[in-house]
Amino acid sequence: MNEKKVKIVKRDTPGALDLAKKTVFLDFIKGLSITLRYNLSRSITIRYPDEEKWIPYPRFRGAHTLNRDEEGRELCVACELCVKACPTNCITVVPMEDDTGKGIADRVAKVWEVDLARCFFCGYCEDACPTTAVRLGRDYELACFELDKARKTKEELLKPQSVPEDFEGGIIVQAKLQRTKSGIKVKPNLWKKKEKK
Amino acid sequence: MLSEKVKEEIRGLFKKYRTKRSACMAAMQAVQREVGHLTEEDMREVAEMLGINPVRVHEVGAFYTMYNVQRPVGRYHIQVCTNLSCSLLGAEHIVNVIERRLGIKVGQTTPDNKFTLSTVQCLGSCGTAPMMQINDDYHEDLTEERVVEILDGLE
Amino acid sequence: MGDRETGVVTLKVNGKEITVREGTLILDAAREAGCHIPTFCYQATLSGVGSCRMCLVEIEGQRKLQPSCVTPVMSGMEVKTESESVISARQAMLEFLLSNHALDCPVCDKGGECELQNMVYTYGPRKGRYAEVKIRHHEKDYVLSPVIVKNSNRCVQCMRCVRVCGEVVGRGVLGAIGRGAHQEETSFLRSYLDCDHDGMCIEVCPVGCFMRRPYRYRARPWDLRGSRTVCPYCATGCRMTIEERDGEVVRSIAREGEGFNDKMLCARGRFGYDILNSGGEERLTTPLIKKNGMFEPVSWEKALSIIREQFTKADPRRLGGIASAALTNEELYLFQRLVREVLGSGNIDSTSRWDAATTGAFIFATGITGGGVSIYDCMEAETVFVVGGQVSEENPVTDYIIRYVSDSSRKSVLVASTRAMKLDTSAELSLRHLPGRLGALFNGLVLTLYEDNQERLEGIKEIGVLKGRTVTDLAAECGVSEADLRALCARLESSGSISMVVGTDLLRFREGISGLRLLGDALRALGKVLKILPVLDRCNQRGAWDMGVHPLFGPDYRKVERAGLGCDGMLDQAMDGAMDALYVVGEDVVNMYPDRTFAEEALSRVGFLVVQDVSLTDTARMAHLVLPGAYPGEKEGTFTNQEGRVQHISRLLEPPGQARVDLEIIEAVGSSIVHGFSDGTPQTVFDEIRREVSMYRDAAFSGGSPDGWLVKKSARRLEGFELIEEKKVSLDADPEHPYFLVTGNHIFLSGSLSRRSGILNELVREAVVEISEEAAGELGVIDGQTVSVSGRGFDATYSVRIRKGTPREVVFIAENFEDKAANRFYKRGDVVPRVKITA
Repeated sequence: MNEKKVKIVKRDTPGALDLAKKTVFLDFIKGLSITLRYNLSRSITIRYPDEEKWIPYPRFRGAHTLNRDEEGRELCVACELCVKACPTNCITVVPMEDDTGKGIADRVAKVWEVDLARCFFCGYCEDACPTTAVRLGRDYELACFELDKARKTKEELLKPQSVPEDFEGGIIVQAKLQRTKSGIKVKPNLWKKKEKK
Repeated sequence: MLSEKVKEEIRGLFKKYRTKRSACMAAMQAVQREVGHLTEEDMREVAEMLGINPVRVHEVGAFYTMYNVQRPVGRYHIQVCTNLSCSLLGAEHIVNVIERRLGIKVGQTTPDNKFTLSTVQCLGSCGTAPMMQINDDYHEDLTEERVVEILDGLE
Repeated sequence: MGDRETGVVTLKVNGKEITVREGTLILDAAREAGCHIPTFCYQATLSGVGSCRMCLVEIEGQRKLQPSCVTPVMSGMEVKTESESVISARQAMLEFLLSNHALDCPVCDKGGECELQNMVYTYGPRKGRYAEVKIRHHEKDYVLSPVIVKNSNRCVQCMRCVRVCGEVVGRGVLGAIGRGAHQEETSFLRSYLDCDHDGMCIEVCPVGCFMRRPYRYRARPWDLRGSRTVCPYCATGCRMTIEERDGEVVRSIAREGEGFNDKMLCARGRFGYDILNSGGEERLTTPLIKKNGMFEPVSWEKALSIIREQFTKADPRRLGGIASAALTNEELYLFQRLVREVLGSGNIDSTSRWDAATTGAFIFATGITGGGVSIYDCMEAETVFVVGGQVSEENPVTDYIIRYVSDSSRKSVLVASTRAMKLDTSAELSLRHLPGRLGALFNGLVLTLYEDNQERLEGIKEIGVLKGRTVTDLAAECGVSEADLRALCARLESSGSISMVVGTDLLRFREGISGLRLLGDALRALGKVLKILPVLDRCNQRGAWDMGVHPLFGPDYRKVERAGLGCDGMLDQAMDGAMDALYVVGEDVVNMYPDRTFAEEALSRVGFLVVQDVSLTDTARMAHLVLPGAYPGEKEGTFTNQEGRVQHISRLLEPPGQARVDLEIIEAVGSSIVHGFSDGTPQTVFDEIRREVSMYRDAAFSGGSPDGWLVKKSARRLEGFELIEEKKVSLDADPEHPYFLVTGNHIFLSGSLSRRSGILNELVREAVVEISEEAAGELGVIDGQTVSVSGRGFDATYSVRIRKGTPREVVFIAENFEDKAANRFYKRGDVVPRVKITA
């Protein structure tokens, strides 16, 4: 039988120094001073979503965007290769004929929809796209109040991106929180860069 | 509209061949001799006479360079061979000479509707290269001077 | 050489020894040996051109590679299909093809099922070296016909379209314009085509050069869900697959190896699929009951209880049923049981156009009870005699098969018809006879045969009726020159085997049937191998007869104890007010009966008329109760085509709303009257058919051969139709109405079903009267001009179509133009109505 050996530490009776510390709240002051110091130093967190926002790098894979060429024609020819490539089946494309010059070919998308609630942003659609029409953009604020709102239609995706293609990214900029019916958006001011260490 | 004369000529051709459709090439030539080129209407009429679909006539016309399908030509159709032998012996230069002389480019017709210039593939006269064909006549062993002489000699 | 005598050749393919028939192509031999050789231009049904050079193979001892699709095998050949030089040649060929190919696959409708794509993936170079500017024939795709869109920039110059158009379809409106890399396969000066619009060029095109216009940019092949079915537009019974995306049928397609018709379909089959999408007001989605002259929706329970009440209180002799020959075998079989067993009536028919005795005699004369005859077996014969119908227009694919087989194997085709037909160009001899004079034609042939072979034909006693007639006056009677008649006879006499392709004119005119039988007997007596292929126009007409939907015989051509009335008889009885209830399934009697006014009058006197159909047809409008049925794409079952080929159709869509599959409706109607009538599925009903109908005893419901299954010889003999009294068709001169009106199916239409197809209606454009060149000359009219046609009781305006080669006095109006249908010109008993045409 192994007798458990318990070592009993006997606490010392408080000394005079301890008593003095306690009476002037020294530890408390020590703690407060740290708080105070951080209060005065530059903050290391991003004040997101109220005031600041991080702008991702160009290769970031956020919500889809559909693009146009320099002449403003839709690049998407509704070839449905993105649909085929998609591992989560979140893209729906229905083509139609339109030779009014709306698109780069006479085949354009009648429906181009992506269900962002299903999408896991693998970027296969982008890879499959023969005309670079589909790009995963830099929008990462995808929370919404209703699941329906997670389905993005062609019209929404064709709108200019919130962050231009050639914007470098990887920085924090000034931003403003906006509440809309569909969800919350943080609108960045790309030219107000916030310096961080 | 084909003239009665051409129609008569085509009907005469039928005797030479076992089937009517075999007369296609000769019939088209007969039309071209009179009109200078083949219009859509003419091809339809030839097809009607031969009892074949117009597209068959068009096929033949489009295959051979000697038929001018829907391409009006001047009174003199100059066809310069630019195939290998002729090119090696200066066919390009001959073409340039003609172009300068007539003031037109290949494929064009002079405003007075006298000349049309085309370049064609081998006309089977490599031994006398460079050469050209004006309407039905061959002109061989061409030099710059001879070309000018020939062109000036044409009415 | 032993090989020469036996007609077989032994060769080696990739080291494997194989013995094939002499004259076999290396390509076919290699495929038989299990070696796949890629091809573009090769198509088994077309002549070989060897233009694509994909099929090059190496032959031991020959310095150059040889195109295997045009090189026949020789004894002792050693063929290599996968040698290094062959592989590099294939790569080079593909690189050349791609050098001028548009490479706009993301836009191209063929993307995903393109032969060039597949080939490049399998054999192609991974990199192209061609950096020059590609040849572009045009910038934008152009429209070649209402159903064809063309993009020549994708052409690989395999010439399949040009060949199929000339050799199979027989139109030859496509040509190869230009030469070399500049060659473009298109119509005359790219003009809008006026052809059969069957889209064969689309189907054979290996790339996206010819495209379906209605399918343009609708889907990718991987979006589609298909189901194998049979074309419902004529009794040729072409196998096809209808494919849908998001509940909408977007195309129907025939694929090689999926049926006896391979890639062949006509305009109706290829573009008539859109009836399945015609929802909206047209389509019936709920049972309707007529109250105060207006239709009101009613529940199924209520509808069935009304039917039970009306049907049970009626005297069985005053009851009847007419089912369309476009229903499945299972539905027809149960319908027949319903009428005979449940309603206790013998009044049943499957057509509203032909009378019962005539159809019976036709079945007897064409030997339908003798089992199925494949059309390809028919084409094995030395001579093919096409008679009694306009095969080229009524059954286009039958015409395609006759054309391509006879042209490629130099069969002699003989044609006898009332109007000019497309098949004339492939015929060795084609005759025009007067409408309603087939009897005289057949008798003339028999008499000519008899003159030459008196002693051998002495045994046929019916020839006795021809004694006293001369070939000269029989020829004059049918309007054929004696020389032509004798020439036709000589062709028949000199052939050892003969196939007769017999159309429905015999049924329409109700004459000539005994002549046909006599001719058959005479030819058989002369030792000829004779096959008869009936050419019918309703997709399951033969099945309807096999199932006993006929007043004079039951399933399996069993004799019925008490003969009932056919459609004709039932209408007659209704006219006398002696028809208490009539159950019509899918048949548009008003539009099809030859005398519309009479049919309308008779149906209005029926005590209780139930019509079961997919839409409110003119017949349905007259009903007291309307039941919503289903289209073929919405149900499962089997069809038996004109050859006797049993083919399974499967279900793609669900009937809309409360509409139900006809089989379920018939079962529900039966069960509401007699408890436990039937509650089977198509499969179990088919099993019942196999037990009851000896011809179907070994048939497979689904699965089995893709070519379907030919019915066997019936164990019973059809009785009572050996001798029927035939009509004498009067063709007396009538100076008031100088033209004979003949009718039949329009090339783009068949039955009332096709009228609901938007695409087909676009092809038809307008009601057309077809007249001869001479008549056009007399009337001073040109193609496309509007004329008015007036008969004894009806007149209407039509657009003129001039048909070369049709006799002067014959005019044709299709039976399908509802408000201008030919049946409006008919008075009851008329066989050949007379009309007048004024410009």
